[in-house]
This record gives sequence, C-alpha cells and structure tokens, in this order.
Amino acid sequence: MSHEGNLVVERRTKLGSLHSRKLRKAGIIPANVYGHHEPTASVSVSEEILTPLIHSGTRVVNLEFEGKTSKALVREVQWDTLGQKIRHVDLMRVDPNEKLTLEVHVELKGTAPGVLAGGVLDHEMRSLTVECLAIAIPDSIIIKVGHLEIGGVIHVRDVEAPPDTKILNHPELVVVQVKKHVEEDLLLAPAEGGELPEIVGRKVKEEAAEETPAKK
Amino acid sequence: MALMPKRVKYRKSQRGRIRGEATRGNTVSFGDFGLQCLQPGYVRAQTIEACRVAAMQYIRGDGKLYIRIFPHKPCTARPLETRMGKGKGEPDHWVAVVKKGTVMFEVAGLPQDAARECFARVAYKLPIKVRLVGRRPGE
Repeated sequence: MSHEGNLVVERRTKLGSLHSRKLRKAGIIPANVYGHHEPTASVSVSEEILTPLIHSGTRVVNLEFEGKTSKALVREVQWDTLGQKIRHVDLMRVDPNEKLTLEVHVELKGTAPGVLAGGVLDHEMRSLTVECLAIAIPDSIIIKVGHLEIGGVIHVRDVEAPPDTKILNHPELVVVQVKKHVEEDLLLAPAEGGELPEIVGRKVKEEAAEETPAKK
Repeated sequence: MALMPKRVKYRKSQRGRIRGEATRGNTVSFGDFGLQCLQPGYVRAQTIEACRVAAMQYIRGDGKLYIRIFPHKPCTARPLETRMGKGKGEPDHWVAVVKKGTVMFEVAGLPQDAARECFARVAYKLPIKVRLVGRRPGE
C-alpha cells in the first residue's frame, strides 16, 4: 500500500500569479484543497516537506488545516518546464473508506526470455486505471514477464489486481508484449538534390493561370 | 534521407524568435529516459538523422528509440560568391525549432547507464546543451 505522509498547510490570503511567484521564491508551494462538498481553499505548503513526499510516491496525506486533520489525495502535481521543481499541487479531501478511481503505475518484474532471444520488450501501458479504497491504494501493479517469449502478450485481463482493487481498463488492451526485432537501416541514404515538398494549392493556381489568357 | 515535410503551405518562412519555454513535449512520454534540451535552438534534419544513426548503432536492437522533434521549418541560403540583394535565398535545409525543456529523443528498454551512454553519443551531434531525464514521479 502507498505510504502516508503528514502535510501541514496554511490558508493563502493573497491570490494570483504574482503572489504565487513570490511564494515559490520563498520556498513555499501554492496548493488547493477541495472535495467533499466543502468550499475550495487556497493554501500553501512548505517545499521542503512536500517534495520528498511526492518523490517517495505518496498518494494520500494526513492534512492538517486550520486545526483539523483529514485525509487528502494528491490529485495533480504541476512541475516546472525542466521537471525539477513543483509549481502547484491539487489536494482532494477523501474519506478513508471511500472508493476512488485513479491511475496506478505498472511495474515489470523479471527478464523475458524473448528479450534474451533477440526480441524487444514493448511496455505499452505504464499505468492502469483502478478503483480502490483511499486507505488501500497500491504502490504499483506488479506484472511478471519472466515467461514472455517473442510474440508473447499480456493483456489487461491477464493482470492480477492487488487485493480490494478493481482494474477498470478495457480487458483486451495490451499492457506489455515482446516483439520481434526489426532491423533498421542505419546508414544515411544520400540526399537527393533539389527535392522539395509539394506546396499546398500550387497546382490549382498554375492550372488556373494557364486557362485564363494574360491581360494585355 | 533526412526528415522533411511532405506538403507545405509556403516554400520559405521568416526566421522568427524562439521565445519562452516548452509547455508541451517537455515530459518523457513513450520511453523510460529522454534527452531534454536546456536552451533554445534549431536542430537541422541532417543532425536529427545523425543522432538517430548514433543512437541506433549503440542500441542495436536492445531497445527502442523515439524521435520527438520534426524539422518543419525551411531555412534559405544564398549561393556562394553572390552579391547581396536580389531577394531572399532559395530553401536550403529544414530545421526543428526546439525550446528549452523539449524532450527531443527517448529510449525504451535500456537501463539507465546504457541510456546515459547512448545519449552521450547523441549529445555530441547536437548544437545545444542537453541532459538526461527520466519519468516524473507518479507518471
């Protein structure tokens, strides 16, 4: 089951991008708390506390907000362009025994014999949509690929769901397969001189010009 | 043959400016590791092809390479030893415009050390600073 962390948040009174930018410079991340028919609250959280929690894969946190403690799901994380710093977090209030629908990472275990025989492992679905209790969110869904030969396929229907978890994806979708390796031509083909792409509308214009006689 | 559009609306384009950072195509989406650029610039079609060859020579069927940029922009050039004037030059080559943060290449099926080695070879070919990136937590 996913780890739980504690998160102390404070209400944000000054809203807007300017104030959010100032907060980020001071090492504080703007966030929003919503859900359970309670009013949405703009809050802020310390970057030092939040960043390790996100990197450890925490999904549900014990939220301390204005003297009350409740459980919240980290619904969405916004990153900067280079993916190094967190810019914003959405926290959704949840009941511990409430059923949630969320994406869970797929982890492959073992080495496929097909890969050793020269095939290529194609991991097509890296996460699966599951329905589970808020207190029982799995860290990942483990799929054993130790038996996959070349041409072997694991569909969603073949995946064993963790206890108290239901996989919602279409059962016929391919999660992972071992494909036959296709040799690519590595060498550079000589560039053909003067080759240009077709220009949209050029032919129509030229034909029209030929049909209409030039004005004198 | 280097990459090139099949059909275009105009033969020539103005140079323009590369402003801002990449807000799309800045995450590893297909493979396990990616090569992210740290500064804006133009990458020629021939350079992309050279990168592909360098990467494929290293991967050799152990993994899969994804190229996530395409040279959409035509660049013109004047013939050698001609005087200035007489209008804009003729289309010479095609470039991909990349912004800071764009993930240009991705590999799947390689461990991190091998991906780093593979992208080090690719980085030699590129005219811009790049770095290796993995998937973001939770993706």
